[in-house]
Amino acid sequence: MHIVIMGCGRVGSTLASRLDHEGHEVVVIDTDPYAFRRLPSDFRGEKLVGSGVDEHVLESAGIRRAEAFLSLTQGDNRNLLAAQIAKHIFNVRAVVVRVYDPFRGEIFANLGLRTFSPTNIGADMAYDALTRE
Amino acid sequence: MYIIVVGAGTVGYGLALELQSMSDHEVVLIDRDRARAAELREELGEMVVHGDGTEVVFLETVGARRADLVIAVTGDDGANLVACQVAKHWFKVARAVARVNNPRNERLFRLLGIDSTVSATGAIMAQIEVDLPEHTLIPLMRLHGSGLQLVDLHVLEGSQADGRTIRSLTLPPSTIISLVVRITGEPEVPNGDTVLRAGDEVIAVILQESEPALRSLIAAPHQAE
Repeated sequence: MHIVIMGCGRVGSTLASRLDHEGHEVVVIDTDPYAFRRLPSDFRGEKLVGSGVDEHVLESAGIRRAEAFLSLTQGDNRNLLAAQIAKHIFNVRAVVVRVYDPFRGEIFANLGLRTFSPTNIGADMAYDALTRE
Repeated sequence: MYIIVVGAGTVGYGLALELQSMSDHEVVLIDRDRARAAELREELGEMVVHGDGTEVVFLETVGARRADLVIAVTGDDGANLVACQVAKHWFKVARAVARVNNPRNERLFRLLGIDSTVSATGAIMAQIEVDLPEHTLIPLMRLHGSGLQLVDLHVLEGSQADGRTIRSLTLPPSTIISLVVRITGEPEVPNGDTVLRAGDEVIAVILQESEPALRSLIAAPHQAE
């Protein structure tokens, strides 16, 4: 399937590479072309320089035929704006958003976005490591 | 009324000053930038608070739950949208108003239930549209949350509508021609049999996306297919 990822940081690049290996058609968007160095040399997907909160950039990324969109930049609000453009303007079916603030994540999960909070996940994992026998 | 203003840039600062000078309002002005908040606190006192107006935990500390109105006017559309959504959905604030920096986001904000949006581009266009011959449809007022708006336009000589009854026109969906002011200045509540004539002023309720269609029907020269 056609998948658009905004944010080519560690998480974005790792996921893009994985989905590419699985045979999906992947487009990664980042405002900083230097971020694409994180992608492996055998990455077959498309790298697009631009901002994912810009509808024109999303259109160039093929958002109209995308079945999934993932917002994975460092900014919660930027992620949420891009995700809602993808969901409500372009009707993308599966929209996944990283939201550091767990409360904000909960609000937007209730509004139909698939949010996850690295804050909660990180705290859980640290707790498990701490209490491990 | 308790009003929270998110973003203490030029717009937020001016707004807070205005609101504060009116009686019966309690105003809090929030900015994420510590230095900016400290600077304004010197001048405006305790109403200025340093914090992130999109963060639930912080908003709790300024009593967002009892706010009547949240106005988000930062230079970042993401922050403005999220501040309004957090206010409405988490704190059940009755009314949220957002500044839209990129006019393209206006539609999204409206779709997502932001009560009012204000864009500098839109405001300036509305002021000058009267003077621009190519902008012959003037938006007068947005109707609450429905995507409908009230517009004003003049029937152009030789347009499709010129000399025809309203019934015979293929109007865009949800369009209601509400008032016709004749060239003589005589107002008329129109019906299907009303004949539009060049120079008539038409006030209509339309969906925003119908602007081009209505404009080409009434206020543009008729082009043969």
